[in-house]
Amino acid sequence: MFDEPYRWIDAIHQRRDYITEQLDRATPVVGISVSEGILLASFHRQNPKIYELYDRIAMGGIGHPADLETVRGILLNMAHVEGFQRSSTDVSIERLALFGLAPRLKAAFEDVSAPPIILDVLLSEVGKTFRDDRFIQVSFDGNLQRATDMMVLASTEEMEEKMTGLLRERIPAGEKTLGKVLPVVSRVFMDILFSPEELGMDESGNLLSPEKFSECESRLFEDRQWEGVLLDRNAPARIKKVAYSGDKST
Amino acid sequence: MLALRIDKEERGGFFPPNTGYFPDLLKQDGSYRQMRIHEKGSVSGAAHGTTILAFHFRDGVLVAGDRRATASNRIMSNRVDKVLEIDDSALLAISGSPAMALEMARVLDHSLKFYRRSQLTEISLEGKVRILAQLLKENLPMAVEGIGAVVPLFVARDPASGAVRIYFYDILGAHFEGVEFSVGGSGSPEVQGILRYLDRWNPRPLREMSREEAIVLSLRLLETASYFDSATGGVDSQDPIWPVIKLLTPGTLETVDERTMAEIYRNEVMRVR
Repeated sequence: MFDEPYRWIDAIHQRRDYITEQLDRATPVVGISVSEGILLASFHRQNPKIYELYDRIAMGGIGHPADLETVRGILLNMAHVEGFQRSSTDVSIERLALFGLAPRLKAAFEDVSAPPIILDVLLSEVGKTFRDDRFIQVSFDGNLQRATDMMVLASTEEMEEKMTGLLRERIPAGEKTLGKVLPVVSRVFMDILFSPEELGMDESGNLLSPEKFSECESRLFEDRQWEGVLLDRNAPARIKKVAYSGDKST
Repeated sequence: MLALRIDKEERGGFFPPNTGYFPDLLKQDGSYRQMRIHEKGSVSGAAHGTTILAFHFRDGVLVAGDRRATASNRIMSNRVDKVLEIDDSALLAISGSPAMALEMARVLDHSLKFYRRSQLTEISLEGKVRILAQLLKENLPMAVEGIGAVVPLFVARDPASGAVRIYFYDILGAHFEGVEFSVGGSGSPEVQGILRYLDRWNPRPLREMSREEAIVLSLRLLETASYFDSATGGVDSQDPIWPVIKLLTPGTLETVDERTMAEIYRNEVMRVR
């Protein structure tokens, strides 16, 4: 079937559509650089999305939990073997993404005879200073995107742009503390998961009905769990859990 | 191209899941092989000689070690750290072949982190103790050849109870709990005798000693060991070279700083008569 180029390209298009459709309902994962380190945050229904990979390095992923677990295993193995053979400082998300993950994902995506890998991954690496923090997004087809101060991993480009725009609008550029950023991130999740009408807001974004907002927050926590971690700049060998900063944080 | 694919075994469907045992991963990768020397006799130049000790005091466990590494009658280094932090709840004090001991410490360090990150849970204290036993057992060929024996002390906090425990090993990997104290290395016989004497006949047993008393005792013990054992580096306050002393308690892990050691040494160890 795949001996003709057209059929292979057609199959690839169908595969891309299928994977995109499968990823469609995923809640985004946000990575933001703060003074204390890197904040990674999301909500999940059943399975966690954010994991510690190595000293200074963590990952977030959206997609099928089994595929996420496979990729997590590959990255864990690669990071630990490399860190053991050389030094922990030689392990970087650039190497993990470029040499470990991207070629595998590309090969898996283009092998149309095998079941697809359904996931996108956000890798984050905390540096010595705010300016040294790094993010890399690896897509299901092996494509890479890099960022320094923040990165949003979302199921669609529209969602990614909307969330990034809201975060940039509300978080000042440059160095900022976790305490300042966390409430903004929590609020932006509300804004992208619910419509303004549901949240009780007018067209300009003014909150008209705090009751409606609170109701949405309750609904959010009924079927999802908050997932927030800090890759601590001063203690980077172990991620720390960060509590949700909204009405439900108390 | 095949090597780049996410293969069946990586998908995990047809093969046992990741066990979290890091040495297995290294063996698969070919980066952790046990050496074997077939010629009889020991190799000249292999480094040995040490005094390491651990004992319970009022707040937890004190672990101390001298800094000297020797090869035969040569001093290779006076600045070796023999008390290593494996994580924030475990210490490894090493005696024997530094090459093998430091490699074991490195494997153990990565093993505990790898287990926590891959299995998404902390390994139990018994699990930590067993990993080290396994590494020692795998090192047996080097130990019986006479060039790679490692006899460590492992001190760790039990995550279930918070209690700090001392374990000592033989070269085969057998492990036992040192209830009040444990010692290791060529300078250990004197230290062992003194600790036994103090714990048995001192007005107060070791477990009732304060933090300061425990530090004083450990410095005196290391100096005594160096007096009888040339392979144990004493305290050299002129250079200055200080031992490594760490205190593991149910809530903290502390390294005694050199200024504190210098003050205690001057007042309590180097007494001028």
